[in-house]
Amino acid sequence: MSHSVAAAPDQSFLDKNYFLIRRLHSLTGIVPIGVFLIAHLVTNSSAAWGAFALREQLPGVNATADKGLAYFWKEVMWINTQIPHLLLIEITLWASIAFHSVFGVYFAMSGKSNTNRYSYQSNWRYSLQRISGYIGILFIFYHVATLRWGWTFLVPGGTKWSAEFAGSTLAAAIQGSENGYTFGGVLVTLLYFLGVTMLVYHFANGLWTAAITWGITISAAAQRRWGYVCAGLGAALMVMGWVSILVFAVVNPGLTRELEEGLQKGHSSLVEPSGNERLARAVRHDDELVVGGMNLNSNRTSKE
Amino acid sequence: MSQHRVIVVGGGLAGLSASVRIAEAGLPVDLFSLVPVKRSHSVCAQGGINACNEVARQQGFSEYEHFDETIYGGDFLADQHPVLEMANWAPKIIDLLDRMGVPFNRTSEGNRDLRLFGGSLFKRTHFAGATTGQQLIYALDEQVRRYEAEGKVNKYEFWEFLGPIIHEGRAVGIVAQDMRTMQIRSFRADAVVMATGGCGLVYGKSTMSVMCTGAAAARCFRAGAWYGNPEMIQVHPTAIPGADKLRLMSESARGEGGRVWVPKKAKDPRDPKQIPESERWYFLEEKYPAYGNIVPRDIATREIFDVCVNMGLGVGGENQVYLDLTHRDPDYLTRKLGGILEIYEKFVGDDPRFTPMKIFPAVHYSMGGLWTTYTKGSYNPGTALPKHKSGSPAPLDAKVGLGMQLGAPNNSMTNIPGLYAFGEVNFAYHGANRLGANALLSCIFDGLFCGVSVFNYVKNEAPGKAPAEGLASGAFDESVSRETARMKSLVDSASAGASDPATNPYAIGKELGDEMTAACTVVRTETRVKQCLTKIAELKDRYAKVKLSDAAGWTNQSFSYARAVGDMLAVAEAIALGSLERRESRGAHYRSDYPDRNDAEFMKTSLAKHEAGKTTLEFVPIDASLVAPTARTYGKKDTKKPEMAAAAS
Amino acid sequence: MISTLAPTGTAPASGMTEASRRRAMAKANRVVTFRIKRCDGPGKASYWQDFKVTVPKNANVISCLQQIAANPVTADGKPSTPVVWDSGCLEEVCGACTMVINGKVRQSCSCLIDDYAPNEGDVMTLEPMSKFPVVRDLWVDRSRLFHNLKRVQAWVPIDGTYNLGAGPKETPASQATHYVLSTCMSCGCCLEACPQFNEIPDQGSKEANEAAWNSAFIGAHAISQARLFNAHETGKELKEERLDVLMGTGGVNDCGNAQNCVKVCPKHIPLTESIAVIGRQVTFHAIAKFFRG
Repeated sequence: MSHSVAAAPDQSFLDKNYFLIRRLHSLTGIVPIGVFLIAHLVTNSSAAWGAFALREQLPGVNATADKGLAYFWKEVMWINTQIPHLLLIEITLWASIAFHSVFGVYFAMSGKSNTNRYSYQSNWRYSLQRISGYIGILFIFYHVATLRWGWTFLVPGGTKWSAEFAGSTLAAAIQGSENGYTFGGVLVTLLYFLGVTMLVYHFANGLWTAAITWGITISAAAQRRWGYVCAGLGAALMVMGWVSILVFAVVNPGLTRELEEGLQKGHSSLVEPSGNERLARAVRHDDELVVGGMNLNSNRTSKE
Repeated sequence: MSQHRVIVVGGGLAGLSASVRIAEAGLPVDLFSLVPVKRSHSVCAQGGINACNEVARQQGFSEYEHFDETIYGGDFLADQHPVLEMANWAPKIIDLLDRMGVPFNRTSEGNRDLRLFGGSLFKRTHFAGATTGQQLIYALDEQVRRYEAEGKVNKYEFWEFLGPIIHEGRAVGIVAQDMRTMQIRSFRADAVVMATGGCGLVYGKSTMSVMCTGAAAARCFRAGAWYGNPEMIQVHPTAIPGADKLRLMSESARGEGGRVWVPKKAKDPRDPKQIPESERWYFLEEKYPAYGNIVPRDIATREIFDVCVNMGLGVGGENQVYLDLTHRDPDYLTRKLGGILEIYEKFVGDDPRFTPMKIFPAVHYSMGGLWTTYTKGSYNPGTALPKHKSGSPAPLDAKVGLGMQLGAPNNSMTNIPGLYAFGEVNFAYHGANRLGANALLSCIFDGLFCGVSVFNYVKNEAPGKAPAEGLASGAFDESVSRETARMKSLVDSASAGASDPATNPYAIGKELGDEMTAACTVVRTETRVKQCLTKIAELKDRYAKVKLSDAAGWTNQSFSYARAVGDMLAVAEAIALGSLERRESRGAHYRSDYPDRNDAEFMKTSLAKHEAGKTTLEFVPIDASLVAPTARTYGKKDTKKPEMAAAAS
Repeated sequence: MISTLAPTGTAPASGMTEASRRRAMAKANRVVTFRIKRCDGPGKASYWQDFKVTVPKNANVISCLQQIAANPVTADGKPSTPVVWDSGCLEEVCGACTMVINGKVRQSCSCLIDDYAPNEGDVMTLEPMSKFPVVRDLWVDRSRLFHNLKRVQAWVPIDGTYNLGAGPKETPASQATHYVLSTCMSCGCCLEACPQFNEIPDQGSKEANEAAWNSAFIGAHAISQARLFNAHETGKELKEERLDVLMGTGGVNDCGNAQNCVKVCPKHIPLTESIAVIGRQVTFHAIAKFFRG
């Protein structure tokens, strides 16, 4: 019953693993990239809403803005000191982004946008998905290059990042210098707005299409309902992204750095206890708390 | 290595079912079609396909009654044995289509649903929404594609059949032209099946598709094949008038309860919904209490024509009557008739579920076509039975082989050995009028039943004779050079831009259509038909000097059309000649100067022959040994001939 | 049952629809310019030509093209050749006369001039479909579309045409679903509007063309047919083979979810639903294959 359509024997690697690559491309967009994006935006936006979440009184941290920055600092510190296997997670994330980008571009090149003739909303979303992907890749590259690798493009002197000074470096990066706004900083700010907007859109819309690709939403009604969910998630993330940029666009990088230094000088107990730790304290085992082979009370010890 | 092969011309239901059957039996098939076969005219069939089923059977309906109705509906003009065999096969054909995946409408238990159709008091019509023909042809198209993928069928789509190649008295191939590259070449085959449909375009506008010119049949006719009952052209009572075509409004609209009426007051300006029941004239229901709106097509057409043309009662004073479904539940209508109501809504702009449709008759089907023969089956009673009384036990069981001998090589073969005619182009099954939902049946029946005959002819009749592949190239080369010369003479005449209407092929085609519609449709007279023959002669003269506006040697459509006009003139002449010579009224052929049926002289096939450029017509006897003719009145009341009405009831 | 007919609850009692109101406004016997993208044959350059046509009420694109064919003179009075186009049934069930009208793909037979150009002097543009090679003028070669039906073996593998009894029973609800899918007339609108389905240049031979088609996106048309046959009791027999093709290069994964297909489909076939159904089937098929070996 086999016909002329049988696969040719001299298939390329891509052809042989086409389904796997396609679905991995879809999957990586959600896990880990999408999940990371949520975490990243939640964390960054905490600089705005952190004042309301901060439970303890920190020395020298009184203003609402400072409280927010302090909360953000604690969040970043917690992530960078408390999450196990962070390097492994980062490697997975980088590999996923690279994979998603390379194949994303390759797949996107097979399409030809025709919104000029068929200006349906879904068609615009299709085109925007590809455009946002391209822009997203460029943005991520810039974002990482400047903050992680210390590239100095648009920001003289560079803004190499460290966990302790996440907030101030970010503010300096967005504003163009450690002393406030420069012309380059305006461009960077705009680039951040654009990049974050595009990435959030890309994720929300990708989540919507993934449900069709995997065959989760079948009927038009189900696709519409899931669309509302994705749009809601996207809107929330969008607000978080914009708020994060706004916060670091308005705070003074120098003062932020001073705040961070103050927080850094304080002891590690400023790092908010993890849930496990609080639980452990509640049951009065707060001396040497060891969970899963890790000493949760000490700083970075588990990594060393 | 030489091998036998078969050519099928035409990719509608008949051509596809023949291809499947012949390829399945083991002969390679070359399938030629003017269009991708999936786009053939069969897609336009809407209402359904007739077959007795178990429910109908247990209510007293039977294959025999289906046969009897078809004979009666065709006004006793058809040879009766093939019709009996077709009715017997009908349920098996439905089963087969069902297995192929045709989405027939279903009952709540999941059985195939039935609807009422013209000319029957029993529900015996299977249907798939209101696009049954489309669904049937898709199922067969899929099977042919399957064989194509397996290399058993070779398709030549966008190829135009130019003529059969006849060598030593038998068909050994065809000459054809690629409509894109304009390449003309010959193809060899041991048998050629013509499944090329009807000739509606001879009438200019009809319900038929643009390729239904009848040219292919005409090319066989001019090559010596006989043409049977050319004058029998069905005018469908309900079509939507249009500038380019008259779109069919299926009989199923009446089968599902549609009522035909006109306002009693001539030119009543009121909105139809404002006209009270008492001021509406449901003329079909009044005249035919038993059948009402589902009288056969020729009768409904004549009554509508009479009401509009003779009584001047057409809606708004124009030639149109109301077909009203607004009393039915809109959701029910969407479910059962969605496809056709959508067509009306699309082309007219009114929603037929809420506004009565305006319709008028249109040329729809050619009962006539290439004459074919057959081998009788085993049912041969000494004397013909009287008309079957509806609901009473059938006089015989439905058995294969009663009507026609399965596999006899001459079934549906024309007078030229090896040249077959299947489907609408075969004149055999419908007599003087086709019943609704019998067309799809006759197409598929021909393909399946007579496909076996083609196989047997090729395998058994031609033993000793070399396969066509081995023949010398003389006849083949000759036909190619003849057609090439014909093309050259037409294309050489071409000059771009507008041409003199006297020699413009489109003008000639239009005038032919107008003349044929005026003279040879619902009501015909000696004087008018003679006038029509004179006009055809004039058009032939003009056609001899025809001038194209396109000299292109690539995809020259106006050349293809112009060439077809010459063939349409040949068909038109045969139709007019039949209309003239058949001096009686029978089925679709109504002569106001001879309003009665005349069985003694004319219960015969009119046979047109084309020899040495001249068309002649003769009447040959039919085999009506199964059912004795009776008056065909459908219980009409208020008729001019009360003695006939009494005889029927 | 899908239908363009308005929902019964909302239809006006008079039966007058939006379309009929627009059509009522159109003037009879107005002159409309047809701007037609022409091409003399494969490999030749396209050019535009204008024709003026006097349009009666209720005319469609086909009847105007027929007028041009009978009298091929351009708007500026130059003699020309008849425009070539493909057509068949003229009632939107065969799919032949599909072309791009005023920038959007549709059937030209059901395209009423009263809807598109209701006023004197209005212009309508006609172009051939852009995703298939042009044969001449408005006529394109859609062989690829039919070839794609072979790729997914869009048929029921019956045992032959012998009398073997009825097919499987089916509920009315299931019939209604399948019927809609089965009304696909292979016109190619969904492919013309699809940003993922793009023209493949002629490869020189039938074999080379088919090879190129086999690795390019198959499109909503064939995916929806695969869904139809995968759902049929007997058609299921080939389900795995179909899914093998559809999970490969050019299969369902190449869909970009622009969802233009479902919007331009003249038969209102739920094509995006079909794509999702096949997406689901392919997912399960892949998992099953992984564990079953």
